[in-house]
Amino acid sequence: MNAASRDPLRFSFRRVGVLAEHAFREAVRQRVFQFTTLLAALLVAGSLGLRELDFGGAELRFVADFGHGALVLFGSVLTIVTTVQLLGGELESRTVLPVLARPVRRSEFICGKFLGVWAVVLVFCAVVTVLLLGALWLRVQSLPPPLPDAPRAQAVVAPYAGVLVVGALQAVKFGLLAAIVLLVGSYSQSTLFAQASSFLVLGICHLQYLARDAWQTGHGWLERLGGGLIGLVFPNFQLFGGEYLIAGSGGPEPLLVARVAFYGLAYTTMFLALAVWSFRRREI
Amino acid sequence: MTMEENGNSTARHPPAIEIRGLTKDYPLPGGRQRVRAVDGLSLRVEPGQVYGLLGPNGSGKSTTLKALLGLLRPTLGECFLAGVPSSDPATHRAIGYLPEAPYFPRFLSGRELLRFHAKLSGLPRDGREARIETLLARVGLRPAADRRVGTYSKGMLQRIGLAQALVADPAILILDEPTAGVDPVGADDIAALILEQKACGKTVLLCSHLLTQIEDICDRVAILHRGRLLAEGPLDELLGRSARQALVVENLPEGELAAFRQWLGARGGTLHGVERAPARLDRFFLKTLAQAEQGETATPAGVGDSTP
Repeated sequence: MNAASRDPLRFSFRRVGVLAEHAFREAVRQRVFQFTTLLAALLVAGSLGLRELDFGGAELRFVADFGHGALVLFGSVLTIVTTVQLLGGELESRTVLPVLARPVRRSEFICGKFLGVWAVVLVFCAVVTVLLLGALWLRVQSLPPPLPDAPRAQAVVAPYAGVLVVGALQAVKFGLLAAIVLLVGSYSQSTLFAQASSFLVLGICHLQYLARDAWQTGHGWLERLGGGLIGLVFPNFQLFGGEYLIAGSGGPEPLLVARVAFYGLAYTTMFLALAVWSFRRREI
Repeated sequence: MTMEENGNSTARHPPAIEIRGLTKDYPLPGGRQRVRAVDGLSLRVEPGQVYGLLGPNGSGKSTTLKALLGLLRPTLGECFLAGVPSSDPATHRAIGYLPEAPYFPRFLSGRELLRFHAKLSGLPRDGREARIETLLARVGLRPAADRRVGTYSKGMLQRIGLAQALVADPAILILDEPTAGVDPVGADDIAALILEQKACGKTVLLCSHLLTQIEDICDRVAILHRGRLLAEGPLDELLGRSARQALVVENLPEGELAAFRQWLGARGGTLHGVERAPARLDRFFLKTLAQAEQGETATPAGVGDSTP
């Protein structure tokens, strides 16, 4: 071994990039990515078929909500299944052994997997959002023009900016979900357990307002403490939803959007750090 | 490199691989009881040696290799690569590892797999592709280089795994069952490849069930059983054959045998036994295939031929 080999192995963004590229390539070649993207695209396109409901502006909101539903549902499935496959699947099939026998830090391995999954999710969100914008634009073109003497408030306004913002925030949320799944996968012994646990956590994060209610209005100290702990540990995924962000006629509130994005990124960093800590202790 | 040369190099360099008192316990389900996979194992592999780790299934070979690679934490003891604790991932710069029954991502082609490992090892862009092409050619996978690894046979997986282990030109090769599932031609080629690495001064630690192959290529061996070291040393010493020679003689009349024995005795030699020179099936198989490739026909007469 030469002298260079005795140098400490510092964290390398280059190696993280190589691992992320590898994870991205693996994920996009898997059927789950192709299948979920296709299904989400079909669902968005299908929302255009509901033409009997000619509600004007309300119909556009319906199309946007329908598209967001597809984004949230299939994005969550894609994130969990892909992340579990990329970490748990690799541990189970032992393809991880030659990788960790390379000069690679385990923190680099986890960060590479995270960035690879996030890149896949970003592509998914971008595809669905662009399709949704296209669907809205097409629907706007087919709506009858407002009457000349109609008040300005009744004019049909497509929520393009809201759709873009929700698409971006969902991408942040899926990144956070990927970090949580990496934490679960870093200690679980089977992909089935990792997937089941991850879907359970997803449910808790979406119903987290119940825990916050228990914290604030619970009857006993135990209920309040339990609610408070769950409310603190698990992020609130409802914050990333579209309703309150695009409800205002003036479009999304930039400060609110920035705060939600920061909230998501802060939780992502915390869960990623925990995943690295857990994976470093794991025996392969 | 001879053993004497190895001995000299030991004085200047730390051992390529050193295991001191390695013990590894695994907890059983429930956590109260533990099973001991490796029990107080100590080994030294000098630079340039080909070292064989033998033992039946469950003897602790793979656990030893994983501890050596820092993938497992020893319960007791330490492992070193070139004098540095192997738990430090920096030591992995010097290693090429082929796991047992290697599984590689099915979605990658053979060439992409090598490129991924080359990049991960920090091989500079200049020369990376040339190195990959050389290795693909060396392991005979150039025609299948762009096929997905998921379509490879067992033997092809072993060969791409070996190329993967060699991609960064490591000083130490750790090979877990490198010939498992490989046909005799492939196994012979892998043995030749290991000897090539030895000739280049590389250190090789390998586990194998193919004792004939171990005998052909290893300088030293260790035999493990239930996690314990049963025997260790140079092959010649272990097999007690260092002072013995084999002469292969053809067409010696029976009556001349006594005279030959006498002739040997007069020169201080002893004839321990006379037996028919065994024909090894693996050699015959390889020879027959080689002849077929050259368009020749193998004849049964070739069975008795002494082959190197």
